[in-house]
Amino acid sequence: MGLFDRSSAGYVAAPVEVTVERGALAFFAETIGETNPIHFDVDAARAAGHPDVMAPATYPVVLDMAASKESARKGQKDLLGLIAADMRYLLHGTENYAYHGPIYAGDTVEIISRVKGFSDAKGGALEIAHLEMEVRHAQRGTLAIASRDLIHRLPKEAQS
Amino acid sequence: MSVTPQTAEEGDRLPTVTFGPITRTTLALYAGASGDHNPIHIDLDFAKRAGLQDVFAHGMLSMAQLGRVATDWAGIDRLRGLSSRFTAITPVGATVTCEGRIAERFEQDGAPMLRVALTATIDDGTQTLRGEALVSAA
Repeated sequence: MGLFDRSSAGYVAAPVEVTVERGALAFFAETIGETNPIHFDVDAARAAGHPDVMAPATYPVVLDMAASKESARKGQKDLLGLIAADMRYLLHGTENYAYHGPIYAGDTVEIISRVKGFSDAKGGALEIAHLEMEVRHAQRGTLAIASRDLIHRLPKEAQS
Repeated sequence: MSVTPQTAEEGDRLPTVTFGPITRTTLALYAGASGDHNPIHIDLDFAKRAGLQDVFAHGMLSMAQLGRVATDWAGIDRLRGLSSRFTAITPVGATVTCEGRIAERFEQDGAPMLRVALTATIDDGTQTLRGEALVSAA
């Protein structure tokens, strides 16, 4: 039975434009305890040969969240809404990044989200949504691809 | 001499990264910084309504520490991939210890690469994340 809306399998969202903001990127880097100043100090980043502060390894998830909020502002369902994720039962199963190029403050990127499909586990006690997000830059091409499994711990009444 | 990506061999261990203790303030800041506003991490009332005793930490906050194990050591310019499975919830108050070990040296399209096995463990010994980094060894 489950709670995810499985009719969303195969859905590819329209690209959402997100601009990487320097202050927001630095705040994220500081919050995760990053110690390399290329992630929060523009002078250090430039001294190391970068055009601006550089996104830490897990920053694609932040761009993904920003794209979701941008979609919501436009009155469109974000990916979590589209798959009908229920926050009371939602767990993060896996996260996977493939890096193809650096992401810098000042970059405007497109986020393209895809619903790859759904599966079941633990005899129907868990259901899993397989999602993918691409971070694409108009000139530099694909910068990162994120894959994510989200899990519903299904309450008894939603188990098949 | 410390291990470098060029010289690292299977079994070599990378410098450990510790983070924490993770307070409610940490979670509030991470929610704001990451844009992940899921109330299960920041709103005790919501967590209780969902049948939990307490809020728990964002898995991605710990994955950021796995990333730091790889990038503190190799530099982010060398990072080609990072993946993680979230194997247990991280409670409020936990300190997360992240470790990396070279699992494999291999060639990809003629270029030397390292597969780094990563783990995150909390104070009571529970492993909370198990992941992997792909690092260029060129």
